[in-house]
Amino acid sequence: MDLQNGEYQLLAGSVVLGLLVLFYGGTFVMTLFIGKKKENADGYMTAGNKIGFGVSAASMTATWIWAASMYASATSGYTYGISGPIHYGLWGALMILFIYPFGRRIRAVAPKAHTLAEVMYARHGRSSQLMLAGSNILGSVISLTSNFIAGGALIALLSPFSFRQGIIAVAAGILLYTLWSGFRASVLTDFAQVVAMLGAVVIIIPVVFFAAGGPGLFETGASNLTVQQANFFSSEAFLNQGAPYIAAVLAYAIGNQTIAQRLFAVREDLIKPTFITATIGYGATVIGFGMLGVIALYAGITPMDGDTNNLIPQMAVTYLGPVLLCVFFIMILGSLSSTADSDLAALSSIAMTDLYGQTVGKKNVKPKTMLLVGRITMILATAAGLFFASGQMNILDLLVFVGALWGALVFPVIASFYWKKVTNKAFTISTLVALALFLPVRFEWISMSGFTGYAVDVLGIVGVGVVLGLMTFGFFGLKVARIVGIVAVVVAAPFAMGALHEYSVLSGSLVAYAVSTVICYAMSVRSKQNFDFSTIKDRVGDFDPIETIKRDTDPVATSK
Amino acid sequence: MDIFWLTVYVLIWPVIVAGTLFVITRAFFREWKQARAEGRGLV
Repeated sequence: MDLQNGEYQLLAGSVVLGLLVLFYGGTFVMTLFIGKKKENADGYMTAGNKIGFGVSAASMTATWIWAASMYASATSGYTYGISGPIHYGLWGALMILFIYPFGRRIRAVAPKAHTLAEVMYARHGRSSQLMLAGSNILGSVISLTSNFIAGGALIALLSPFSFRQGIIAVAAGILLYTLWSGFRASVLTDFAQVVAMLGAVVIIIPVVFFAAGGPGLFETGASNLTVQQANFFSSEAFLNQGAPYIAAVLAYAIGNQTIAQRLFAVREDLIKPTFITATIGYGATVIGFGMLGVIALYAGITPMDGDTNNLIPQMAVTYLGPVLLCVFFIMILGSLSSTADSDLAALSSIAMTDLYGQTVGKKNVKPKTMLLVGRITMILATAAGLFFASGQMNILDLLVFVGALWGALVFPVIASFYWKKVTNKAFTISTLVALALFLPVRFEWISMSGFTGYAVDVLGIVGVGVVLGLMTFGFFGLKVARIVGIVAVVVAAPFAMGALHEYSVLSGSLVAYAVSTVICYAMSVRSKQNFDFSTIKDRVGDFDPIETIKRDTDPVATSK
Repeated sequence: MDIFWLTVYVLIWPVIVAGTLFVITRAFFREWKQARAEGRGLV
């Protein structure tokens, strides 16, 4: 089988069509069991805030695993060797873990919220809400587009169908089962998708490993690895892959509405087990898939067209038979669909709550109109995703910008849930200044020689303290966080001074953290604001009338 | 890392995934059963 010449196994058009019908038809049928003629606006966004552990853990795991994370982990394994998948998957998994203590606080302050931006509106006002909602919208559209592209590329690679036909099939399939019941459909189908994904991982990784040569491969292929690639403690892998990702851990968790939505949906006492299970599930799945990149490296496989995103499909068509190729197809379809349907649900919730709900005012909200807004948003978002995907526009570059905005938002958002003194002005100015300084550092618009380089190093070192301090704060409180933050700065300084600015991805993120923290703190510490957190739950709550909710969730009461 | 540990390193992930899948699936069906017994929807 010569991959370079395109002589790899294809699935017949009828088989791919059958798999698409089976997958999307099956998920659609699942949603029919929960469909209500009269949907409830709050249920459409958060499923009544009382989802159990099984559904929520499955949903959190399925949502966080997207096709791009599997491909990127394999790329990391191929590029950085045996430690590569750890430096991608472990830190990605910790994003889920580190958000949970903050999630519990957010949920305690606003138990009936729908979006984080909505809570920010109640805490601060319009500008902070718009920054969070805007970044969420951008992030979800990018994610949606990326998943459509992954679906189209997969179908084009494995079947006679074109890329365009592929993205239309995927987009239509996802919209079909998500449109009517929204978030409720998204979380229910996540269970089936997680079973498909995780089940496939359990089978595919060992099969590929042994088909590629098994343990003997580590002997025969050892010469294909550089010293750094063969080292489990590779500094190259840590500095280029792991460290920027550690810095992004809190940013992506705080800024992602798909996570916030599940946080508001799960029963409050089940937040901890849900997040821990999802951490393990995500980590093992993504690191496991990264092993395909490591195997490819040992086997001396060259990515098709020099694109490492082709590695996973290449490994699949090289080592899997027709039946397992179908399993692989379903697995990738599951990973991209579960994330894409969550993005649709996230976007509709933002439109329903932060655009429609806040514009007309909570008291004037008409749940029926709100539902219509949500469904129209899903259709428009799908159309936008298709538009960007069909042009194969490189909007993934925008993710860097969104990630930076989320990084700049981390301290102001977290502080706003714990510290009464944080003002809207401090929130807004600190975020915007941090973003303005991130851009020239990340994209190397200015020379880093001399004073500028040292200034970036100093801010980066402060950023290290902020990141580790915030991570510690969530679990152990302010006192321990301060100690960890200061120790981190002292330990990092001798190594980072004079060198950190050479790693633009890492230093850009750290500068965003440091600047927003310093400015937000400096502007708030002397403020006279004494915010009463108990007022948030009065201002953020259900949109549907209480009677409707009771009737929908208690069939016994309905029958009386 | 020698060959034995490299093999363990590659194959440990599907094992952890299988364990996680078991935990999630068991919880899901328990909740489904309970919801049916109480006459309410799962989500």
